[in-house]
Amino acid sequence: METLTISELDATSTDPGAPAWDSVPSVTVPLVPVPIDAQPNAYIRVAWKDRGYGSTPAASMALARSGENLLVRLSWEASGPPMGEFPDACAVFFPQGPGPEDPGTMGSHAEPVTVWHWRDRSDVQQALPAARHLVASGPGVFHPATDARDLAANAAFDGTRWSVVVSGPATALAPGGRVAVAVWDGTNDERAGIGAVSATWTAVTA
Amino acid sequence: MTDRTTAVTNQSDEPGQLAMVFDLNKCMGCQTCSVACKVLWTQEEGEDHQWWMSVNTQPGLGTPKGWEEMGGGWVDGEPAPGHQPTRADFGGGWKFNHQEVMFGGRGRDTHLHPVDTGDGTTRWGMNWDEDQGGGTYPNAYYFYLPRLCNHCTHPVCVSACPSGAMYKRHEDGIVLRDETVCQGARFCMEACPYKKISFNYVRAVAQHCIMCFPRLEAGVAPACARQCPGRLVFVGDAGDPAGPVHRLVHEWKVALPLHEEFGTGPNIFYVPPLSPYRLHDDFSIDEDTPRIPPEYLESLFGPRVHAALDTLREEMERVRAGGTSEMLDTLIVYRWQDLFGQYTTDPSTLDRTPERVAVEFGRTATGRSRVETASPLPGGGPTTGPGHGREPRPRPPEGE
Repeated sequence: METLTISELDATSTDPGAPAWDSVPSVTVPLVPVPIDAQPNAYIRVAWKDRGYGSTPAASMALARSGENLLVRLSWEASGPPMGEFPDACAVFFPQGPGPEDPGTMGSHAEPVTVWHWRDRSDVQQALPAARHLVASGPGVFHPATDARDLAANAAFDGTRWSVVVSGPATALAPGGRVAVAVWDGTNDERAGIGAVSATWTAVTA
Repeated sequence: MTDRTTAVTNQSDEPGQLAMVFDLNKCMGCQTCSVACKVLWTQEEGEDHQWWMSVNTQPGLGTPKGWEEMGGGWVDGEPAPGHQPTRADFGGGWKFNHQEVMFGGRGRDTHLHPVDTGDGTTRWGMNWDEDQGGGTYPNAYYFYLPRLCNHCTHPVCVSACPSGAMYKRHEDGIVLRDETVCQGARFCMEACPYKKISFNYVRAVAQHCIMCFPRLEAGVAPACARQCPGRLVFVGDAGDPAGPVHRLVHEWKVALPLHEEFGTGPNIFYVPPLSPYRLHDDFSIDEDTPRIPPEYLESLFGPRVHAALDTLREEMERVRAGGTSEMLDTLIVYRWQDLFGQYTTDPSTLDRTPERVAVEFGRTATGRSRVETASPLPGGGPTTGPGHGREPRPRPPEGE
């Protein structure tokens, strides 16, 4: 299991281009497609069994703590500029308790995971929050968290690469906890359980 | 792996399934049903292009454009992949150059037109191919087809939703969505073979006809049915053997589902259109051939359409010969309120104080808190936000 050291930051800025991030260690998280057999219903399994998805190979992840806040910076190579019906998106998963063995399941009803979900709003969805606090109990089986907290987020797209910072309460990450990430390629209509997710959990050390 | 495929909860001939019958022989394409729905339900942000109720000319590409070829539904018990209609497929919701024409000093050298926003939405609209129809002179033909969510017995949209936001209400079979749970994945839009689910691009949730359930719960018929000036929309429990819906569908078998082959068990039924005879090249009447090709009607309503049309003709013949027909009397609708079964309450008689509206609309399967937006209307009629819970006024209590 890859290990990532969490850094302390003075700034609380969610600017993904802030110089402070240069000194924060990051790891490259290999991503794999969420298995088709794990998709939550027959429609999605039938509709996507012959379509490629989840081809984003990896994402870079860095974690920082600033006071009561946890900041997660994700960066990945996009397949192209944002276009089409579905937005590019990413998420960070925090298991509640030990969590499922495979992060690709995005939790289960028995072992739900906390999700910080960001999606591109550069189209027309400006009224939406920058990021949402959700609970996942399966691939794409997302619900608003009953104790949903406001998240802050900022994103930058340089023509080929997304860089996103999501900030929320540090309590999301349990001591000695672990995290996983997911990336959705909107130009390939990816959303819900159709996307790329961490092949393994990433352990976090202080 | 958790399979969320939905169990069938209502059969269309069992008590507890609300259904509607549209008599296409009486539909004049006036769009009053469409506007009644629009005014009531889809006037908020992100709903400008949405028409939960729409009337299209047949044959035609319809709304969304080419919907009949977009897939979805059930095939041999398995869900069939479908295409998610885009905003361009629906079209509409246009922004116009009002500023330029009205206030920009260009009123004499330009005209009002939709502003092309580059997303294709100005190249189609809800009723784009109105009255084009099919055939060629002198045998051109068309008819109108009102469409809304079919509140299907086997709703593939419900089973395609990964978040479980959609459900089929047990008590009346209405298919609803909890917008607080909907994550905007839009698999429902792909899976629905009738393509009557729209996407709110501002709020990032899918939306569709809710069969005016808050009205039904107050004993009021859905707006599309109650406002129809042609008296052609029947509402009722499909399992009530004494009700017109059951009798038209199951007893007389003159009301048929649209595209039954989609496999979802739609609960909106249609009395198919009769048509005048074709004309020969010398303009003499060909009494053996109806103007609307029977094979076209079969492509919409299935092979039972021929028997349904035969029944209609036989009953008309019987009446012409001096007999009586309970079926035709039903379709004529001598008494307007006979259309609505138990839902005959006049909405103008309801307690519409803000406090009452808050109770009535405070909880809703569409997920919007109407309590927060309740406010009085001028003249004492309260509403629950723009367009919600409101009906055009003034109007007489009877005979709308």
